[in-house]
Amino acid sequence: MKKSLVNLNLRTCLTLLGALSLAAAATAQTCTPKVAASELVKPGTLVMSTNPTLPPMQFVDSSGALKGMRITLGDEIAKRLCLKPEYIKIEFSAMVPGLQAGRWDIINTGIFWTEERAKLMQMIQYEAQAVSISVAKGNPLKISKPEDLAGRTVGVELGGFEERMLKQLDQAMTAKGLKPINVRTFDNFATAYQALRAGQTEASVTIDSTGAEYAKRGEFDRAISGLFPTPVALALKNPTLANAVVGVFNDMQKDGSYAKLMAEYGLLANKDPIKINGPTK
Amino acid sequence: MKAWDWGGFFDYLVNPYLLQGAVVTLGLTVAAIAGGLVVGCLLSLLRLSNYKWLVLLAKGYIWIFRGTPLLVQLIIIYTGLPQLGIKFTVMESALLGLVLNEAAYLAEIIRGGILGVSPGQSSAARALGLNSLQTMLYVVLPQAIRIIIPALGNSVNGLLKTTSVTSVISMEELLRKTQILIQEKFLVLELFVVAAIYYLLLTSLWDVIQRRIEARYGRAYKSISISEGH
Repeated sequence: MKKSLVNLNLRTCLTLLGALSLAAAATAQTCTPKVAASELVKPGTLVMSTNPTLPPMQFVDSSGALKGMRITLGDEIAKRLCLKPEYIKIEFSAMVPGLQAGRWDIINTGIFWTEERAKLMQMIQYEAQAVSISVAKGNPLKISKPEDLAGRTVGVELGGFEERMLKQLDQAMTAKGLKPINVRTFDNFATAYQALRAGQTEASVTIDSTGAEYAKRGEFDRAISGLFPTPVALALKNPTLANAVVGVFNDMQKDGSYAKLMAEYGLLANKDPIKINGPTK
Repeated sequence: MKAWDWGGFFDYLVNPYLLQGAVVTLGLTVAAIAGGLVVGCLLSLLRLSNYKWLVLLAKGYIWIFRGTPLLVQLIIIYTGLPQLGIKFTVMESALLGLVLNEAAYLAEIIRGGILGVSPGQSSAARALGLNSLQTMLYVVLPQAIRIIIPALGNSVNGLLKTTSVTSVISMEELLRKTQILIQEKFLVLELFVVAAIYYLLLTSLWDVIQRRIEARYGRAYKSISISEGH
């Protein structure tokens, strides 16, 4: 009898201590992570991969800081989940294997939604993008429609949606009996545009907003835009984390911050609730 | 996702697109070594000459090309030179970069080989009435080659893999073609292992060639040891 009383006392003490330490932790952190540590690559941290060569969506400013719409979005998601955002800057071609290998929680690099990819990963559509064709200033080759690219040398980043679209265009050209496109793949968009700047390529393929940004900077003309409009997504491996991120998006839709962010970058906002877009069965 | 896809692995092992990449890698290596040897030989002779300005020129060249990354040299050749009105194609830029870079390393290897030949050899050749060019061609260089081969072997082996750096200017060699194919089904490990096997085959091929060359230039020493045995 006495023993169990002691036990009870001990237990109360421990519970009290536990409650105290929890309270102390809460005041230090001001919030508790909304996702269990076991669902994350690194406890307390939301690790995202991004390839910062796409101004204004994701780029590095002269001080070395990551900037852009997708960084703002990633920071906001991390904040609302009470996690510390962390970015891994890496070439696009390494991203899907890296996600599968548990190197990061989210691919936040503006990955285009495709059925094949949705079979491999949890994808959340939140933005729509189309593809643009950038050319040298003044458009000396008078490129105004996709067919004008037949027989031309066109640069693109390796492994992305843009490369696939360009190859599709190329197939369409040859099917029509036109000359094939000479597709050159580069490690990233920065090198692809550098090749265009040097006149090594005659056009460069990129997303609309980046094509517009380069045109705004006055170095290149955007000859064609709005090709292949396609939803852009975040890609995750962990379904629990994906659901938590969808929850954040829904909250951001309700309080208007999502629509505001999309408008700031001239992007079309999703009207319907955001959800996980798996492969259509 | 399966951990390892044997079917995919064997499909890629005989994939003509990858084989083409292996041929490009081999071609780049052979051309870069051939060009590098010619330029490197010239550089090493300049470096060993008695003219201060020629020595400085060779030293400056070696300093720059050994001191900067090949990747930077390639980007400058491919996208910098056109802005000065000199435009090379992807293949030309890749070859030029590899040759210029390799020449700097080979020049030092060749110089080491030449310095490794005992000075008594050239004195004897001169005493026999050979001029300095003849001395170099018929006496010093044939002996230097024996010393050069093992180091040259390292260079060729390294170069086989270094050619993959040219993918930065969109050269589609073995490694870039591997990366492009990975995007198809995301069979990352399978494809990289296939690429590794190709590289191993290529380096093994060079091992065989190197042994042949070593045997040929080691003949003189071999016959001495045999006659000593008698």
